[in-house]
Amino acid sequence: MKYVIQSTKLGVIGEEFEPSPGINVAALLDGGFIAIQESTDSTKKAPTIKKTPKE
Amino acid sequence: MATTTFLSNITTLTVNAVDLSDQATAIVFTNMREQLDKSTLKDTSRLFTGGLFNNECTMTLFQSYAASETYATLAALVGTATTVVATVTEGAVTKTFTLANCYLESMPVVNGALGELSTVDLTFTGGTFTAS
Repeated sequence: MKYVIQSTKLGVIGEEFEPSPGINVAALLDGGFIAIQESTDSTKKAPTIKKTPKE
Repeated sequence: MATTTFLSNITTLTVNAVDLSDQATAIVFTNMREQLDKSTLKDTSRLFTGGLFNNECTMTLFQSYAASETYATLAALVGTATTVVATVTEGAVTKTFTLANCYLESMPVVNGALGELSTVDLTFTGGTFTAS
């Protein structure tokens, strides 16, 4: 999970935002200045579903 | 005696990392340490020593309810601690003043008068003051 800038008041839109100590991240999220981007790990395999043998 | 005069040019003003310099009309950064009375019966005048730091930053901003502006920046900060950074430049010298973990107790949500631009006066208290 990472934060992505959504406003030019904070930085370049689309760039990752790394909050420094003392920054209220919840307020930035609430004000729409940043958004949460879930990391997509393409190397991660999808979980396999085991089939139960038919009797 | 050499003197310099300084036009109050705040080149950067951020509240919670959000740049609000285009909304600010005034700012006062105060580095303050409480005085503790250490006078004794032997003294003929009061003597003080430094106690806890009790820093303060007051500012006046134009109110704006537009996205990414004054209200959006401050609304969720009331009752929490944040960081205020102000940078001033005089010639080749740049000073950056930071008040980290300062507390915002209140914010006027409506402050209007006929024929005037709406402003908000804010006071951030406490926190750690650094100058670089």
